[in-house]
Amino acid sequence: MDNKALRPSKALFILLLGPGIAWYVFAVIAPMLGSLRYSFYSFEGVRIKDFAGLANYIELASDTIFWTSLKNNIVITILCVFGQIGIALIFATLLNTFYIKLKNLHRAFIFFPGVLSTIIVGFIWTIMYNSDYGLINFFLRALKLDFLILPWLDDPKYVLLFVSIPVIWQYIGYYMVIILAGMSNISKEVYEMAEIDGVTGMKKLFYITLPLIKNTVMVCLMLCISGNMQIFDHIFIMTGGGPGTSTSVLAMYGYNKTFTQFRIDYGNTISMGILIISFAIILITRRIVAGGKDDG
Amino acid sequence: MAEAVKKYFGIIFTNSILILFSLSCVFPIIWMIYSSLKSSSEFNVSIISLPQKLMFKNYVNAIKVSHMENYFFNSIFNALISLVFVILISFILGYFLSRFRFRGRNLIYTIILFGMLIPIPSLLIPLFIQFKSLGLFDERFTLIIPYVAFGLPFSTFLVESYIKGIPVQIEEAAVIDGSGFIRMLFAIVMPLSVPILTTIAILQFFTKWNEFPFALILVNSENLKTIPLGLLNFSSQYSTDYPLKMAALTLAILPVILIYLLFNKKIIEGMIAGAVKG
Repeated sequence: MDNKALRPSKALFILLLGPGIAWYVFAVIAPMLGSLRYSFYSFEGVRIKDFAGLANYIELASDTIFWTSLKNNIVITILCVFGQIGIALIFATLLNTFYIKLKNLHRAFIFFPGVLSTIIVGFIWTIMYNSDYGLINFFLRALKLDFLILPWLDDPKYVLLFVSIPVIWQYIGYYMVIILAGMSNISKEVYEMAEIDGVTGMKKLFYITLPLIKNTVMVCLMLCISGNMQIFDHIFIMTGGGPGTSTSVLAMYGYNKTFTQFRIDYGNTISMGILIISFAIILITRRIVAGGKDDG
Repeated sequence: MAEAVKKYFGIIFTNSILILFSLSCVFPIIWMIYSSLKSSSEFNVSIISLPQKLMFKNYVNAIKVSHMENYFFNSIFNALISLVFVILISFILGYFLSRFRFRGRNLIYTIILFGMLIPIPSLLIPLFIQFKSLGLFDERFTLIIPYVAFGLPFSTFLVESYIKGIPVQIEEAAVIDGSGFIRMLFAIVMPLSVPILTTIAILQFFTKWNEFPFALILVNSENLKTIPLGLLNFSSQYSTDYPLKMAALTLAILPVILIYLLFNKKIIEGMIAGAVKG
């Protein structure tokens, strides 16, 4: 829409839009373009030293820790897609049935961890995982399930799963409320008809709800993937990427290279790697999901 | 009869599952809050028991040893200043994007949309280099620069779709009555947009209050550090005194809990609107 009567003068246009756009470009677009440029140079401190051509990228391509970190990001993302969106779907379905009491309270409770800071969640779960003073071991002992007790954050074999659990826990509610909003657009009659035809429980979820909220689930999937490609805070607090490199993720690795090994040029190239890979993964997922949409 | 009993148990069963799950979402925080009122030795004897005597001393100590008041001030300062700018800029941007077609509109739209997709970790190190070389590193206003910029995409789109729902005739009438553009924008459209601007304010406050990576990378002086950084210091120094640590953590989330108790409906609605837009 364009409204001639309202349209301000050109000067006013620039005066009002200019500062905001300039601010945004300075803090978002400029560093991104800067990053691309820096990635072709070697650095001394925070200063550009020499043109390095593709040297940084060649190092990146053959850097096994970088690829391990990417693999860890992908594992965490897959765990979160099933954990967050999967569980969110189930609870949203349950909350949508008429015989559940205290719906608003449930919604407020389940969403609550989502407003906490990632740092707090990291700290609390570190305490919860603690072998002597943690809630997890306490409950396992109380239920006489001692044999399930593991060195939660210290065993490289499972640690990736156990750092994902707090992340999943924190955001189930977020996806749940998005899915609930999607479900509220489905008319009641559809469900009533289905119930008359004897479709109940999980069948209702798979054959009726899911196809009707495909777009909402797609939104969740995109948010989940892009969110987990960025994961940093939880890992930083809980394990710092360890033990070894077993929970190293891309952001963590970039941070370590830059601020503990002081390789700014290489840290910056890792940033470029994160950017390229994230966009690639989002595009690919979009294509796959959009491709599957035709038969729906 | 058997059918009815089965159904009855089904109802109890699903209700119980939901109740258990809901409790698991809040219990860790409740546990943290009441444990923060125990003495260290009491906590070591039983981690689950309620405090025998309320040890508010943990809070006094937490504030004293961690200089929490300093971190609190910085977090509030950054959050409030940032959200004022975010509201102002996103309101103007959202208004122009929704009411006018102009040269560069598509470009602006694209870069803002782009900002919603760009992974923040990919900008941390370039931003660090940029800030270091321009002398913007570790200053009072340092964090406000990225905080405002990264708050814009989400907020601008919220404003844009909200403005679409306001009938343009109101603005036209104002202009016909001789009101200037600026007056029309801030004295007529802005008050009409208060609901969405409040949502933005609440959501931005949360994000800024909780923000960690930018603060970690762009700020270094003790007197500029925000709460998450303060907690990091604190926790590495007092790693074994759990109640003390929990007192510090509780202080840090108190404002968040308060705001959530008051506005949880609005917060959830805002999050949904923003997510679906992205």
